[in-house]
Amino acid sequence: MGATLSAPVRTRRPGSGDRWPLIFLAVMLLLLLAVPTLLGGTAPVFSVFNAAQSFAGLGLVALALGLTMIIGEFDLSVVGTYALGGMLAVKFGAENPFLGALIAVVGCALFGAIQGLAIAKLRVNSMAVTLAGYLVALGAAGTIGDNKSQPFPNFEFTGTFNAPIAGVLSLRSLITLVIFVIAGLLLLRTRAGRDMRAAGGGRRAARTAGVRVDLIVVVTFAASAGLSALGGTIQSYGVATATSNPGLFPLIFAVTACLLGGVALTGGQGTPVGIFAGALGLCFLSQLFTDLASPQFMVSLVTGALLVAVTLAATPALAQWRQRLIYQKDSTDSQTARRDS
Amino acid sequence: MSSVAEPPVLPATRRSIPWLRIFVVVFLVILLIGSITTDGFYSVANARAILNSAAIVGILAVGATAIVVAGQLFSLSLGVTVAVCAMLFLSLLGYGMVPAILGTLLFGFLIVGVQGYAVGRFGANPIIITIAAGALLEGAVTWVSGGVSVYPSAEASSYAWLAAPLFGIPFPVFVFIAVVILGELCLRGTVFGRQLYLMGGNPKAARAAALPISRLSFGAFAVAGIAAGIAGILLGAFNQSGTLTTTGTLTYDAIAAVLVGGSAVTGGRGSVLRSAGGAVLIAAIADMLLLRGFSPPIQMLVLGLVVACVVLLNQANRGGK
Repeated sequence: MGATLSAPVRTRRPGSGDRWPLIFLAVMLLLLLAVPTLLGGTAPVFSVFNAAQSFAGLGLVALALGLTMIIGEFDLSVVGTYALGGMLAVKFGAENPFLGALIAVVGCALFGAIQGLAIAKLRVNSMAVTLAGYLVALGAAGTIGDNKSQPFPNFEFTGTFNAPIAGVLSLRSLITLVIFVIAGLLLLRTRAGRDMRAAGGGRRAARTAGVRVDLIVVVTFAASAGLSALGGTIQSYGVATATSNPGLFPLIFAVTACLLGGVALTGGQGTPVGIFAGALGLCFLSQLFTDLASPQFMVSLVTGALLVAVTLAATPALAQWRQRLIYQKDSTDSQTARRDS
Repeated sequence: MSSVAEPPVLPATRRSIPWLRIFVVVFLVILLIGSITTDGFYSVANARAILNSAAIVGILAVGATAIVVAGQLFSLSLGVTVAVCAMLFLSLLGYGMVPAILGTLLFGFLIVGVQGYAVGRFGANPIIITIAAGALLEGAVTWVSGGVSVYPSAEASSYAWLAAPLFGIPFPVFVFIAVVILGELCLRGTVFGRQLYLMGGNPKAARAAALPISRLSFGAFAVAGIAAGIAGILLGAFNQSGTLTTTGTLTYDAIAAVLVGGSAVTGGRGSVLRSAGGAVLIAAIADMLLLRGFSPPIQMLVLGLVVACVVLLNQANRGGK
């Protein structure tokens, strides 16, 4: 992609600090398995299956948003392309679901590339561009779907798509898992992945180092739109209905999952593994509420509170405070070590 | 985000072309032709309808302008706040009109102001904080209200005048005009307003000048909260009921009005008057599309395209200077 990095670019490979998303995932899984069982509720395996089904669609939206956050941008239009992708797939994929998915993903990826081009070339704030993109995509989804939900009539495919595999998986969730694995390999093992983190860590330094930042931005926004469209497609095929306006929930889910997954709002940090853990952990939490027959507003309250907590925890002010604590602890430790020696 | 700080780089040959002006002229010509060929567009009743629908969005846009000018991007919880304020106003009417209005405005002031404080004090991302606040507010209100619509009690004060016409013009239009004048005076004629412009235009200089960033951020959001409270009161009075589903696309319409009005997303530039103009323009476009039989999603699509054009051309235009 570009020349070898020579300027100081703030990037960080996954290390010990990235264990928190996995701990969050493990705790959520434990809660999902333990709490309903203790209360004599539904079979835990079925709950995990249900959570994985939700993760199949929403997880891809989180990955889409996470990629743009890693390069230091923010794609508000993921909800629009999620709706548009689902609607396009249902409209064109009744006979051939693969063709429907292809039209949805390619169409939305082109849309994302246009947004990326505008952001990269004109240096416009990505939130403003993608807000307009959100309105356009949602308007297009509503127009295609006559402003209402559209059924997906291929029930045979929906049945196959949702059929359990190994108890907790399905074709629906397997596709998403495979995409996460590919995204993980791309980001962690290739030069493109390193360049993405470099672009997010420091735009000027990355340019100086020879990273083709504009190309990274365009491709990332295309990938973001394509992934969220695929998420919408998977969701629509899975529930045999495309929604013309899914509301803000997918965006709230995606942001929370990314922040829980260790993606920094300032860019340059985060991995698909972390996003996977954050998204699946959230799905486990949501399923736990369903198992406990909690009302929907409870999910809104908990997700909102979680989002506030992780956003505040990631703020510069609190990050500095944490750094000071770590510094003080290190100083105390080294003084103690010197005294002991 | 990192793209904000860097100046646009455009080829020298394109810098001299006033793209924004060309777009404005072309857009106005299209609008003129469209309006002339639309039956019933040029009528007193339709003008009244445009002003009426622009009033609520315009009031909210005035509040959103304070946030944008202060460089805090947007608030995505304004629509939910309007709906909750409408519900609160109708619930409080049993205690009398004045307590109901004051209680609703205080609620809007505090609930949105707190979000601004979190943004200013901790440097939290305003978009994410307001999305989270919206989710929390929605969850809490559904919990309290049981998820049903709110209606004024039998002993509630008469509130019909809030939605009734005055001299043939809907009352919300007068409120809109008053809010625009007050908003313009607040942003242009007070120390608070000028500090907001400085904070949005050059945050580093604002910090160096020891401006109270947390308080200013609280203030900008609180202004938006008061605007949401006023919009909620008018919406509640008009609908005679309050529910969370009444928000529709209010948040996006208000933000779109601010952006169409030419405010810089990065802060420091913009005016209440221009945002109000943006709200009227958006209402006129939506009205024309409605009269021509286009569905709400097409209106949303057109709105998105207009916002995209204005944002991009505004940036290109700034790059040319």
